[in-house]
Amino acid sequence: MISLWTVTRQELLSTWRDKRTLSSSILVPLLVIPLITVGLPLLMSNLIGGQKDRQQTVGVVGTLPPELRAELLGPTGHNVRLVQLEHSKAAVQSGQADAVVEVKTPLPTQAGTGQTGQLSLYYKVGNLKAESGAAGKVTAAVERYNRVLVGRKLHSLGLDDSLLTPVKLQKVDASNPAESSSGALAFIIPLFLLQFILAGATAAATDATAGERERSTFEALLATPAPRSTLLLGKLLATTLTALTAAAFSVLGLTLSAPLALLLTPAGQGAAQKATQAAFGGSLQLGLGGLGALLLTAAASALLISALLLTLSLFARSVREAQTLIAPLSLLIVLPATLLQFADFLHTSPLLYTLPLVGGMLSILDTVKGVLTTEHLLLSLSGNVLAAALLGAVAVRLFGREGVAFR
Amino acid sequence: MLNIQELGKDYGDFSALRSVSLQAYGGEIFGLLGANGAGKTTLLRLLSTLLSPSRGTATVAGYDIRTQAQQVRRMIGLVSGGMGLSDRLTGRETLQYFGALHGLRPAQTAQRIDILTMQLGLEQVLDERAGGFSTGMKQKVVVARALIHDPPVIFLDEATSGLDVLARRQLLDLALNLRAPDRLIVYSTHVMSEVEELCDRVAVISGGEVVQTGTVQALIADTGTGNLERAFFEMLRRQQEARVSKA
Repeated sequence: MISLWTVTRQELLSTWRDKRTLSSSILVPLLVIPLITVGLPLLMSNLIGGQKDRQQTVGVVGTLPPELRAELLGPTGHNVRLVQLEHSKAAVQSGQADAVVEVKTPLPTQAGTGQTGQLSLYYKVGNLKAESGAAGKVTAAVERYNRVLVGRKLHSLGLDDSLLTPVKLQKVDASNPAESSSGALAFIIPLFLLQFILAGATAAATDATAGERERSTFEALLATPAPRSTLLLGKLLATTLTALTAAAFSVLGLTLSAPLALLLTPAGQGAAQKATQAAFGGSLQLGLGGLGALLLTAAASALLISALLLTLSLFARSVREAQTLIAPLSLLIVLPATLLQFADFLHTSPLLYTLPLVGGMLSILDTVKGVLTTEHLLLSLSGNVLAAALLGAVAVRLFGREGVAFR
Repeated sequence: MLNIQELGKDYGDFSALRSVSLQAYGGEIFGLLGANGAGKTTLLRLLSTLLSPSRGTATVAGYDIRTQAQQVRRMIGLVSGGMGLSDRLTGRETLQYFGALHGLRPAQTAQRIDILTMQLGLEQVLDERAGGFSTGMKQKVVVARALIHDPPVIFLDEATSGLDVLARRQLLDLALNLRAPDRLIVYSTHVMSEVEELCDRVAVISGGEVVQTGTVQALIADTGTGNLERAFFEMLRRQQEARVSKA
């Protein structure tokens, strides 16, 4: 009796000696995930935070009240640099100023005169640098100036500032710890996981089928007494294990992200940095149960993707041709994964969890958010395993055809 | 040991093998001589159960290729000219894998590797990955892979194609050394000199049919020519004439 493991072991040996497989299954997931979940937020928070610390140039067209000028310059005089200009829009467009304030009629210097002044702010709307820098600082300075004027008026009338805010609204985060730490961009995690599974499985599946054909080793293999179903299932198992390795290293990359984030941004980490990082899922918290569910879902997805890739690769004459056939498959992952960002707006019926691949993605998202139910996990596992079994049967049938070695 | 009855293979309207009947016995090196596209490879692939026949049948070492494919594959060793190796495996790993696929225990495989190392001079290739092998070294492992289970029937299909003079000589010597009373070697080629040197009997194949079978000397005598090459072309000419008159 020729064991399945004999074939699997040989395929794994051959696959793991390929440097491309090592990099796509281990190095890339281990490096890319922390880079995205920790490095990118760090970069963004440094950029945004940097704008707050940096001095921008704000142009002034017209005359500002001295008190508002003082607000704009800030307590140390380094908040913004004010320059007198003639034209507002042109100065912003030419880069002469980061923002321009334009005063057409004199602004009030006290509240309650029955007069509302009009101050126009020119800047590039939607430009992150302008929004978080000059425009943000002007907006804050004008708000402070308004508050000072109103407060002064209230005091002159013998009233307190609290008159302006009879009710204070306090926002409290009601999400569970996993949900709140998963971040608003948690939907990216299923995309990462499945893409790395696809990358790992692609190298193994194409090598085990089209690669054999390209090297002219199929004929010798099929001339042995090993049943073709054993050969194919051995290849399927090896492909799945390779894909699962990629998934395991992706999960490892995710779990390493949180300590790495702490290491890179210790005690002094600012609130803006923390918020940006949390939004990207950099402080993901997975318990043992979550980790188990994630690995189970990844295993079922790896099995399905491997069966699909093996089936397709059987039609190819060379590894290159197989890769061309497989390339559009990444859309099967990218499209539903992109839609996951709207998952909160959708009524996710249990039936959705039975959909091959999609169910797995939903389960991964739920796991990351800490809201996965056993029923949903079982449904997604069943959907993926059943589809993998069907595709596996198709692959065994194709592999049993006489032309398989001589395509 | 080999009994073929009206074996044929069609691909749609095209007949790759029309109808072949022949017998070959243990102790023989039996030649299949024909030009490219004559049907030799199709015949060997049918006998190796890699292809299914469209008509007729054959037994290899007593097993029917239609109904006992797995037993047939236990009895054969197949070497084809274009066969390759996995570049990432060493010679020993390839042989161990194929030993396991043939159901040999690790100790049996190790013993066979020792024997084949002596027969084929595998010392250089056993523990090196095939990626760095010369064509001759590769061919040695390909042959060892086909012989790892010590099969009673060996099919060598254009096995010297692409080999340099030295590697070709080694393969021909090996074929001669492998000759044994309980072993049949079927040697398929289009090279006349190889047939003259190796084969006890020859079947000349053309257009998917056996034109004539016999010893090299008998074929030469029957056609009244001086050598095998002339005899070969004479046989093809007669076949063509017969077809025209039949039409």
